[in-house]
Amino acid sequence: MATISFDLVSPENLVFNDEVGTIIVPGKDGDLGILPGHSKVMSSLRPGRVMVYSEDKNLIKSFFVSGGFAEINPEKCIVLAESVVEVNSLEKTSIEKEIQELENKEGKELEEQLSVAKAKLEAINVNYYDKI
Amino acid sequence: MPSLKDIKTQINSVGSTKKITSAMKMVAASKLRRSQEKAEAARPYSSRLEEMLSSLASSAASGEGIIKLLTGTGNDQNYIVVPVSADRGLCGGFNSSINRETFKLVKSLEGNGKIVQLMPVGKKSRDFFNRVMKDQIIESFVDLNVSSTGYESALNISNKLQELYFDGKFDKCILVFNKFKSAISQEVTQQQLIPLDVSNSEKEEEKENSSNAIYDYEPDEETILKDLLPKNVSIQIFKVLLESDAGEQGARMAAMDNATRNAGEMIDSLTLKYNRTRQAFITKELIEIISGAESI
Repeated sequence: MATISFDLVSPENLVFNDEVGTIIVPGKDGDLGILPGHSKVMSSLRPGRVMVYSEDKNLIKSFFVSGGFAEINPEKCIVLAESVVEVNSLEKTSIEKEIQELENKEGKELEEQLSVAKAKLEAINVNYYDKI
Repeated sequence: MPSLKDIKTQINSVGSTKKITSAMKMVAASKLRRSQEKAEAARPYSSRLEEMLSSLASSAASGEGIIKLLTGTGNDQNYIVVPVSADRGLCGGFNSSINRETFKLVKSLEGNGKIVQLMPVGKKSRDFFNRVMKDQIIESFVDLNVSSTGYESALNISNKLQELYFDGKFDKCILVFNKFKSAISQEVTQQQLIPLDVSNSEKEEEKENSSNAIYDYEPDEETILKDLLPKNVSIQIFKVLLESDAGEQGARMAAMDNATRNAGEMIDSLTLKYNRTRQAFITKELIEIISGAESI
């Protein structure tokens, strides 16, 4: 089976760069499953999980991104994300606290932060896509 | 003639200065390596973003809303100039060349009848422009520490700029910063940040390359562009901050290296003077003794 090269880039560094089997990215209009030979797509992303699978469909890593862009062509997939955290390293209690703090305040920028924080919490709680 | 003791104190004080400058040189060298790594790490993101943008830029038709970041306001009257300097001195001509260049730019723009405002980044340029053009400063950013705080610091600047831009406070934004060429040389560079300058010859090439590739856009080109443009402003600022940080460390390293060498030379010449003076004293004493003995 073929592989597709996958780059996950944050402004500060190159987070992930390897040949993989499948990637699932949270597109703005819905999740995109990317296999080798995918057609050319450019998509913006919503806050959510970027899942990386090996050729035999085992989950290698899952990241949380707070939004960004994905550029996909048959050989390569590049995800540009503003902030990238591994889902495993997220802590439930600290995020819940963050959400509470944000909910008490008001403001336009905070709303965005809040939705990112909520998406983070969701990313920890859900487990679909763990097996494909 | 200075006494032996005077020269000795002078040698000691130059010696301790030398110790300080050589320590600062070491610190700058290690910081330089770190900042260089940071700048290197940020490169893939910004170059990818630029590629995406240049393939999208051609599809920007209307000059409404966020797209204005790309197409401009249609006016050419109000400028905002952002000099990016360091927070600290002792790095040779690093800060003063930024201030000089910015000053020249502002004067020449004003000579053409433009209205210019300033938004200095870094203590050294803030202090300078506070002295010479206080009423033109609308905002300043200091203590950024880009190597430790990272992207956040760039976001603050970029948010402020975009807020002002969409309030119609300015039409064009120009960054003045030190471009990192090598560890010992920096080049003062001007870069137009808003509206985005896609006329670069480099980018033209890229555009041709990517126009061969027909992409599907999700949700659609305009929405992506609307997301992409503000991010591009932030990432450009981030890149400039990192370059300037690396340049600062490089400049400091070079300046301190020079200072250490100068101190070494000074110590040598002072030691020579010290020995000569000592010899002169001995000779004088001998002469006194001999002439004393002769007169008996």
